[in-house]
Amino acid sequence: MRGSQKRVKTFQDLVLALHEYWRDQGCVIFEPYDVEKGAGTFNPATFFGCLGPDPWRVAYIEPSRRPTDGRYGENPIRLRLHHQYQVILKPPPPDIQDLYLGSLEHVGIDLRDHDVKFSEDDWESPTLGAWGVGWQVWLDEMEITQFTYFQQMGGVDLDPVSVELTYGLERIAIFLQGVESAFDLLWSEDVRYGEIWHEKERQFSIYNFERADVGRIRRMFELAEAEAKSCLEAGLVFPAYDHVLHCSHLFNVLDARGAISVTERESYIARIRELARACAQKYLALLEESRARVLA
Amino acid sequence: MPEFLLEVGTEELPALDAPALAEALGRSLADSLPAERLPFERLEVLWTPRRLAVLIKGLPGRQEDLVEEVRGPAVAVGLDDNGNPTQAALGFLRKYGASPEDLKRKRVGDKEYLFLEVRTQGRPAGEVLREIVPQAIRSLPCRKTMRWDSSGVAFLRPIRWLVCLLDGEVIPVRYGNLVADRVTRGHRFFGPKEIPLESPGEYRERLREGRVIADPKERAGMIEEAAREVEKGHGVRALWTEELLGILVGSLEWPAPVLGEFPAEFLDLPAPVIAAVLHEEGKFIPFAKDGEPAPVFLGFRDGKEDEKGYVRQGFERVVKARLRDARFFFENDLKKPLPERVEDLKGIVHEARLGTVWDRVQRIHHIAMKAAEALGLSEGERRHLDRAALLCKADLTTEMVKEFPELEGVMGGIYARKAGEPEEVARAIEEHLLPRTRGDELPSTAVGTVLSLAEKLDAVMGAFAIGEIPTGSRDPYGIRRAANALVHLVLGKPLVLDLFRLVDEAVGLYPEVPGGKGPEEVKRFLLDRLRHALRDELDYDVVEAVLAVPRGDFHGLKGRALALARLREEDRRALEDLATAFGRLKNIAGKHGRMEFDPALFREEAEEALWRTYLEVKSLLEEAMAKRDFPEALAHLRRLVGPVNRYFDEVFVMHEDERIRENRLSFLRSVMELFLEIGDLSRLMI
Repeated sequence: MRGSQKRVKTFQDLVLALHEYWRDQGCVIFEPYDVEKGAGTFNPATFFGCLGPDPWRVAYIEPSRRPTDGRYGENPIRLRLHHQYQVILKPPPPDIQDLYLGSLEHVGIDLRDHDVKFSEDDWESPTLGAWGVGWQVWLDEMEITQFTYFQQMGGVDLDPVSVELTYGLERIAIFLQGVESAFDLLWSEDVRYGEIWHEKERQFSIYNFERADVGRIRRMFELAEAEAKSCLEAGLVFPAYDHVLHCSHLFNVLDARGAISVTERESYIARIRELARACAQKYLALLEESRARVLA
Repeated sequence: MPEFLLEVGTEELPALDAPALAEALGRSLADSLPAERLPFERLEVLWTPRRLAVLIKGLPGRQEDLVEEVRGPAVAVGLDDNGNPTQAALGFLRKYGASPEDLKRKRVGDKEYLFLEVRTQGRPAGEVLREIVPQAIRSLPCRKTMRWDSSGVAFLRPIRWLVCLLDGEVIPVRYGNLVADRVTRGHRFFGPKEIPLESPGEYRERLREGRVIADPKERAGMIEEAAREVEKGHGVRALWTEELLGILVGSLEWPAPVLGEFPAEFLDLPAPVIAAVLHEEGKFIPFAKDGEPAPVFLGFRDGKEDEKGYVRQGFERVVKARLRDARFFFENDLKKPLPERVEDLKGIVHEARLGTVWDRVQRIHHIAMKAAEALGLSEGERRHLDRAALLCKADLTTEMVKEFPELEGVMGGIYARKAGEPEEVARAIEEHLLPRTRGDELPSTAVGTVLSLAEKLDAVMGAFAIGEIPTGSRDPYGIRRAANALVHLVLGKPLVLDLFRLVDEAVGLYPEVPGGKGPEEVKRFLLDRLRHALRDELDYDVVEAVLAVPRGDFHGLKGRALALARLREEDRRALEDLATAFGRLKNIAGKHGRMEFDPALFREEAEEALWRTYLEVKSLLEEAMAKRDFPEALAHLRRLVGPVNRYFDEVFVMHEDERIRENRLSFLRSVMELFLEIGDLSRLMI
């Protein structure tokens, strides 16, 4: 394993250590994208970054909102908002697995004292029109990372393919800090995770499960969808994509609220996927036209 | 004789796919080497999650020479009047570097040609392997493929290295961006990154030194041995499934046991819940003591014993957290008793065209009650069935089943008991999905059996009603599995009932949808599944003979097939005679529609004789069939053989008088009908 071992004490140290490691692997260190989303994959740095022929290496932290996973702050590990650390390597280097394992060592996990397994888990996002092949990575049988070779994004076959690494930061931090609940984690030396997030978990759970106004949310979905379409017509792919993200999140809220039947679900997903496809197509066309690097 | 090693090094293969891929690689070489004139003595397949390997012993150093006869010009063209070669023949000789004395003459059809015996020298084995190895890799059957680099090659997971050795020599096979070498890799964490091999023979041992057990049987043995030790040491019994063992063997290069414990406070959770938590993702082996869950579990670390105990601590933390989650679900679920959940099923769409799960429950209920009637369930049993059918899907609304879908039914039973339902009802709910897999146990109670039957028949009829039928390997609604389970239930219990009648009675429960398939297609599909099941144990032709006369009484169909098979075993000749007699009848009367005949129109003694036997056999046959004694029925039919044969020897059926002719055909048709009670015996291969 490469990399020197760190003494990573806090949640923020973990993020900084990963930044450091992946910066040294030539990654652009990106920021979370400031539109709500269910996973780091939705960040334009991944969605657009995986499209097109140019090499691209990026790493960033992404607060990921999943309304249905909310537990009112009562479950130690299931969270409405959790933090993903996301790495994209396009094209993937042949020693990518070792590189990834090196990052675990770098944040202070001694792999010779623990057990790591790569268990089959093929990832798919029907809303993004994306799928890939890979594993969940288990550390002492706790899932810590989703490791995926993307094969398709926005319905487009990828060439070259990209590897996506999605670290579950709370889980890794729990492991490193030896606590049982995410809320007990040290975010910094003197601030706990729960002090920042617990009340938010509670309130958003109430909102998502009980209070969100279904009628208004549906209308917001329609508006965002319409806005995405009109942006696409004007060739404004990036603004369009922001609205696709809104649509995806609003759909997730409706889902958590129990407002979507099985058949409706299919049609909502198909509507978002169509928009995502259109964004992917427009982006590729833009790359063709401009013959310049338009990075995600 | 040289030895050969091929190793395809990969990133971690899905645990349950690796064995089939390794076998396929071995089979491909086993087929192509002899075809390339490289017969070998022994071939062995080894694999781990990160490698597929084939070891071959006793391979010749080169191909055998190939000797072929090549045809040249016709003699008339190739030789002149003096018997000397013409330009045409000289060209032919030049092409193969031969001289005129090598020419042979041979007649093909009505013409004589010049021939040469051409010997192609065998090529070195290494050269041939360079060609066939890439083909063998390329042709590996993957259920899903991926690309990982610019070479464009695709496989189930990335291929990262190749070892290809013929004795000490590297065969530099190319595949994608890779060139084969002699370097394999040890365990990811506990072995050397690179292990150069001198020869194929040292493959296993060098890998073992590198903390990799290449032989899957040996890994399975290590895992089973570890479980046995826990059994002995703790006085417990391991709760295995074959799948769990397969996943473990497929995900470990060196299984090192890690025994964990969980706090006894969780032992009040239902046993199936504890097992599901431990089985999740195929990670841990649960144990039972005296039929109750034991607070220990066995996990495996890959590569090395857990000397410091960190891995055990990690496993225990994970298990405890999951058990805590499970308890949370369980307690939450209990806040709303099972019967109150039935109403919530109206909010769960089962399938857009087939309605909600509540609608499905209504259909299952209807079918179950009809089946109970047909099977003669008692008053009490029907009361329990009525209740169990109503409740059987209510556990779909529980957190536990959402979290552990494999506990569907099982949780329903547990929650029904908690809600104070009668034991018979709870048991039937618990059993209504049995058998879940091939070889799984069947429901133990009549109520559970009927409920399971109804559940499966509804699944099949529902899918047919909306045209979602399985094609090829595609079976999105799992209909084939449902129908197989249904057949298994009927044959295994066994159940004596007319499935076709049940289908007809249920048709009205389903919507009419464009593209939907009707009851006749359901019946054909069910028969086809029966065919499938019967062929496992009976000769093909025996099965075809009874299925040629379709009936909804599947148990009876099997009984008929068994009787035929038994007769074949006991008295092959007798079965042949029966089939021959039936064949004679079918040839002449098979297409004849009428069956009414008038004995007064009989003219010959042989007709009278057959008629007398016919009358006797007919009534005896009816009795035997009523008792469902099919061997006895066959014995009665055999009495017809003599008179039938005599009839055909002595009677000219196609009499010139139409009335007599028609009467004879109708009579023979009636005799044939008796045979058809068993089946169409002309399908038997005699």
